[in-house]
Amino acid sequence: MNSRIRLSCQLTTAGALLLAAHGALAQVAEQTDEATNSYVPLALENRPVQNRWQSDYSGAVRLGLGYTSDDNYMFGQYNGLSEQGATLIGDLQWQDFHSGDNYWQVSMSDLGLDTREGELTWGRTDRLRLTIGFDSQQQVRNDSGETPFQGNHNQYLPDNWVSGQTTADFATLDSSLRNFDRVLDRDKLFLGVDAKLNDNWRIESNLSYEQKEGHGDTGAGIYINGASADAALLRSPVDYGTTEFDLGLAYDDERLHLNGQLAYSKFDNDDQLLVWQNPYNSYGADVAYPNGTGGLGLAPDNEQTSGRLTGHYIFSPKARLQFDGSYAVASQDQSYEDYTVNQALVVAVPVPGNDLSGEVATSTGNIRLLLNPMPKLSTEVFYKLRDRDYDVDRDGYLYVRGDGGNQPNSPETVYNTAHDLISQTAGAEASYRLPLRGKLGFEYAYEEVERRNAAVEKTEEDRYTVKYRIQPWSNFSARTHLQYADRAADTYEWAQSYYALLDTQLINATPDTQRYITHPELMKYYMANRERWETGADLSYLPTERWNLNLNLLWRDDDYDQSNLGLTESEWYRAHFSVSYVASDTLSGSVYTGYDSYEGDQSSRAFRGGQEKNAFAIYPPLPQASDPQQDWDINATDTSITLGANLQWQFAPDLELNLDYNYVDTQGEQNFTTQPGSSVVASDLPDVNTKLHHVQVSGIWHMQDNLSLQLDYQFYSYKTDDWAWDGVQADTIANVLTFGQTNPNEDIHYVGASAIYRWQ
Amino acid sequence: MKGNSLKALIILCGWLLVGNGLWAQEEPGCLDCHKAGADSPVHGIFKTAHGSLQGGGAAACTTCHGASEAHDRRGKKAPPDISFGPLWPSDVETRNASCQGCHDNGDQLLWAGSAHQQENLGCNDCHSSHQQQDLARDELDSQELCLNCHTQVRAELQLPSHHPIAEGKTACVDCHNPHGGLGDAALHQVTLNDNCFSCHQDKRGPFLWEHPPAAEDCSLCHRPHGSVNDRLLTARGPALCQQCHAAAFHPSVPYGSEGLPGGTANQNVLGKNCLNCHSQTHGSNHPSGARLTR
Repeated sequence: MNSRIRLSCQLTTAGALLLAAHGALAQVAEQTDEATNSYVPLALENRPVQNRWQSDYSGAVRLGLGYTSDDNYMFGQYNGLSEQGATLIGDLQWQDFHSGDNYWQVSMSDLGLDTREGELTWGRTDRLRLTIGFDSQQQVRNDSGETPFQGNHNQYLPDNWVSGQTTADFATLDSSLRNFDRVLDRDKLFLGVDAKLNDNWRIESNLSYEQKEGHGDTGAGIYINGASADAALLRSPVDYGTTEFDLGLAYDDERLHLNGQLAYSKFDNDDQLLVWQNPYNSYGADVAYPNGTGGLGLAPDNEQTSGRLTGHYIFSPKARLQFDGSYAVASQDQSYEDYTVNQALVVAVPVPGNDLSGEVATSTGNIRLLLNPMPKLSTEVFYKLRDRDYDVDRDGYLYVRGDGGNQPNSPETVYNTAHDLISQTAGAEASYRLPLRGKLGFEYAYEEVERRNAAVEKTEEDRYTVKYRIQPWSNFSARTHLQYADRAADTYEWAQSYYALLDTQLINATPDTQRYITHPELMKYYMANRERWETGADLSYLPTERWNLNLNLLWRDDDYDQSNLGLTESEWYRAHFSVSYVASDTLSGSVYTGYDSYEGDQSSRAFRGGQEKNAFAIYPPLPQASDPQQDWDINATDTSITLGANLQWQFAPDLELNLDYNYVDTQGEQNFTTQPGSSVVASDLPDVNTKLHHVQVSGIWHMQDNLSLQLDYQFYSYKTDDWAWDGVQADTIANVLTFGQTNPNEDIHYVGASAIYRWQ
Repeated sequence: MKGNSLKALIILCGWLLVGNGLWAQEEPGCLDCHKAGADSPVHGIFKTAHGSLQGGGAAACTTCHGASEAHDRRGKKAPPDISFGPLWPSDVETRNASCQGCHDNGDQLLWAGSAHQQENLGCNDCHSSHQQQDLARDELDSQELCLNCHTQVRAELQLPSHHPIAEGKTACVDCHNPHGGLGDAALHQVTLNDNCFSCHQDKRGPFLWEHPPAAEDCSLCHRPHGSVNDRLLTARGPALCQQCHAAAFHPSVPYGSEGLPGGTANQNVLGKNCLNCHSQTHGSNHPSGARLTR
């Protein structure tokens, strides 16, 4: 081989190697480029570091004692710490996956509190899982109120009660008042089984029973018309039981995945009627104290049976169809109460029928077709349906007004109305990947809502949304969206509810211009014309790998441009900012702050007409109803400022400190405007302010690998000055006997000491 | 005879040698390097449900990480076929596909096209399958994962009126399916109202006298994550009710500070305002409840 040939061979070899190397490098570069071109959600970065104490054990038991400094109902509203005194701290977690194919897990928490919960699971890997458990919840509400009423679902006044036409006349009220708790306890037991039948089929079933007991509160009035009600706030009994069962069957193959479920839910209320003795004597002897009573219907027993099919079908890696459809029937046949509990009142015409026997059938359907026709383009087409069909007999009810008098005459019959709804939304979305890990998306949706027996038969809305996301650098991402929606409503039939509710004889006797319940110029905002603009932005920035900054902004404006009265405009501003810093594997901290403002403008027209109204009387036209001078406006704004900080510091290998602080400052404003020269008077209401400070500190000493001691401290301070209750004694309102409750003003300390024993 | 026996022995040995090479299922060598103790975070998985996949041991590793033969041969010089990071993270589709090989039904059925999938979230961004306690499956800890991105909700959960979410008695995942759904906000139930009724069955009805907005959409009056106003209301009463009601006489009148104590102490302003009488705002089944007072 001569040198030229050798040289060419060497060049060829070198060239081949070069090409091969280039190809290999190009492939690596392409892979790298692909990897770097992938958008990464930055908010996930710099999470607080999980340490091995949190997650590296198979069993742990925590036992200790806690102490709450005072009775309260805000700090302990949901956490079971509403009473002063010592409480047991008890948690258990244990799992065992060592026994071959079998495993079991047990977890229990809050064992010493009314919020305890627990679950035991046994299974065979990927084939069978059995779960049994319980979950208790407690809700505590303002307990500063008092009531003179005794009894539970049949409430009566003390024997020495002194009645009167107003609360000021109740001479023995003060001596009759008794404190009471408003506590609701939920206790749920549940059982579940999940089994894999074979490679394609899986079955799942759940059964649960929940008991909800305790007391809430309710308002209740005795009256003959809207101008003369004598009301009282009552402790309302709650004694509910709910049984739920579902059975699901899932099928999987390479292309088709189906999930079918049948479910049944039955709700039972042990109390159907809340009866109270009338503390007032405004009406005749039959209605006045001590003979008069009122009756309030409580939640009726009901049940719901439903079937649901969810699934998807994969046509190809670039096309799949998803669907979720259901059909449910909710029914209720609770026996009717009489028109009045007061047997002394004359009721000539009985209640039509023994029960409602009403059924609401709800059909839903959601379909989404996902298509990726090009590598950078993804599209979807969707359709949503909700059909609420209320099947109920329409009857006339000649009802007794507020247990305040005899049954009225037949023209005052009212009729029940079924409210049906069909909502359909169809739309399409396309998004295209752009350079700099960008993505531009556009969505259009058309929504049509048809209502039966409503003032507006149909609303149609067009919604356009543009979304853009970019990550120009690996440590910065931004996202923004802009939405415009335009809802158009059919003619607002302001007389509809009048015709639906009242008797023909009364309607015919009423002048055309008076056939309305709500003023004709008011459009209920949820079915009125509306123009919506919304825009928002989310920015995430990681200046270094230890810092993470997030900013979240939102603005939404709803303009009900055809509404003269009612809600005419609402606006929502939101700005939230958070920073987190991970100094090391043992130290991390975060701070967040947020500002939210909801502002609503609403108008109305005061039309009393110089007279009070018998709800069913035929009265001459009220001149004020057509007088714009009677208009008034409210500008109501709710703002909240939140600030929080969290620190996790393992300052020695065996010592850990967690600090959490939350501050909330809210304000509710209501400012009124009336027409110049108008007789309508309304001054601004005072602001309602609320302030919350909540500090939680826990120090953990890991004495040994398997033993830790934990000290907890919480300080909770909550104050508000809600004018609805501020300075309102039980007899402050002439015709409402209230609880005289005070606004919360709590400073609560909680300390806890516990030992945690872990094992592998 | 002696020769035949020798031949038979040689054939048997050869068959065994070749057969072993050809057909024997050699266990992957994952655990030769990833030993317990020195690499204990990896071994945590053997105390979880994932540790016994395909019979457990190294076979469990390859179930999720792929056969990873190059990594087996070359150790740190080649990544596993599927890596969840932090050293050689595979792209998010590959990582998620590995999980979805098993978790492709139930709650995960509609992952494709979901908001989190479109945000390039990986399963392992929330789940830690190598740890004995997967925090994403804990009611209280899972919230931290959600709120890490949904920072605006963290503030709402602290407002004066809220569900017991911050207290850990209700989890984000009790209402929302983070793996996606076809309904609004990836709710578990088919409608928003059904989601609410799954805990508040007493509001389900149907009622003789309905309050139409309550039957249509709970969120017309309530803000589920938290509110400045009592009972999660979107606005204070009586103004909230007056957004839709302007009937003659008392419903049409403005209720300003004149109605406070010291003034007229108005029954439509103080206490429960409209609900002092019209307490059955979710509907009434009482034959005399047409005005939602019974």
